[in-house]
Amino acid sequence: MDDESREFERFARPHAAAALRLARTLVRNEADAQDVLQDSFLRAFRHFRGFSGESPRAWLLSIVRNVSFTLWRKRERDDPGELEPMLESEPDPAPSPEAQLLEASDAQHVHAALDRLPHLHREVLVLREMEECSYREIAEILGVPIGTVMSRLSRARGQLVRELVGDPRSKN
Amino acid sequence: MGTFDEHPRGALHAYLDRELSLEGSLEVEAHLAACGACRRELETYRALRRLLQSAKAAAPEAESALMKVTRNVRARRRRVYAVGGFGAMAAAALVALMVVPKLNDGVVHEVASVHARALDSGQSVELASSDPAAIGQWLSARLPGAVPPAAGGDGFALRGARVDSLEGRPVATVVYQVRNHLVDVFAWPSAERDMEPRPSVAGRWTVCRWAHRGVAYWMVSDAGTDDLKALATLIKDRRT
Repeated sequence: MDDESREFERFARPHAAAALRLARTLVRNEADAQDVLQDSFLRAFRHFRGFSGESPRAWLLSIVRNVSFTLWRKRERDDPGELEPMLESEPDPAPSPEAQLLEASDAQHVHAALDRLPHLHREVLVLREMEECSYREIAEILGVPIGTVMSRLSRARGQLVRELVGDPRSKN
Repeated sequence: MGTFDEHPRGALHAYLDRELSLEGSLEVEAHLAACGACRRELETYRALRRLLQSAKAAAPEAESALMKVTRNVRARRRRVYAVGGFGAMAAAALVALMVVPKLNDGVVHEVASVHARALDSGQSVELASSDPAAIGQWLSARLPGAVPPAAGGDGFALRGARVDSLEGRPVATVVYQVRNHLVDVFAWPSAERDMEPRPSVAGRWTVCRWAHRGVAYWMVSDAGTDDLKALATLIKDRRT
């Protein structure tokens, strides 16, 4: 009987840190992130025996995402802006190369810039660049087609570059 | 020159992410060879990647959170399995509703161990507050339909709240203090009939199961049986 919980530990442990990082990306407040994490583990435990997909990580992270959104819905009135769907606008022209400026940025800058992005951009960047998820895993986590992952990543990267170093071609 | 009439927008990202087929990669590379703007863009995104990777924070506390969850599950399961071999977690809630009287010994242990763990961990409350409204709000943000706590009084000070897991379900735990004893009061909505509080002593703990007006309670403390009765009375009075 304990076997199942031990088995779950083995199943979830390699992805625990990624789960917490995603929770932090989505809820922004440490206490909430911890709540989301625990709730996610509990839900995952209830169902992991039925899990038959390829990527336990994608499955676990999709639970983290759902739990985060459930928490948002509860707080909707406090923070309505956060829930507005991001506009899937046409991509802006390619950003000017600012690789050298980016090299000079630090972690604090990056997190602050990430925080200014809409959550759909934030999460896709964190999943791809920090957790190194494949497009397929990201598609599974977000519940969108792979093509959407690609276009969203493209916009998210462009936007983050602009947040960090500015777009020399922009009008302002 | 590749098949791209224009710059390979999405494909450039897929190339960077090694998500293209060999054929697709070759096409992008052919375009890159001819297009300085795309080469610079790719370089920018590579720098962005290095930057994001360097900003990736370790999260060792995530494992402790996992262990906490599985520990709680094991504590609960030992009891459920001991009773009748109900396998599925989903059955746990049902078991709790239907055969609570038979489970009592096991539940007493669980209640006592949740209480002991909270004391041992030095975190007897997750939210420290003596304000019933603030506690009620905090609880209902975590547990829809959580029972709002009764205000302190008659020698019982309201100390705060936690969310615990008991009998296979999350429960609101409200913590009171009487003299130098902490009392945990677990409460959840329940359809069961009213049941008078009759505290009993189990090892070093006094425990008490009761129900009143659609709410089921467990109380546990190292205070005496009279204290628990008095607290139950206080809670009943404040809720009418």
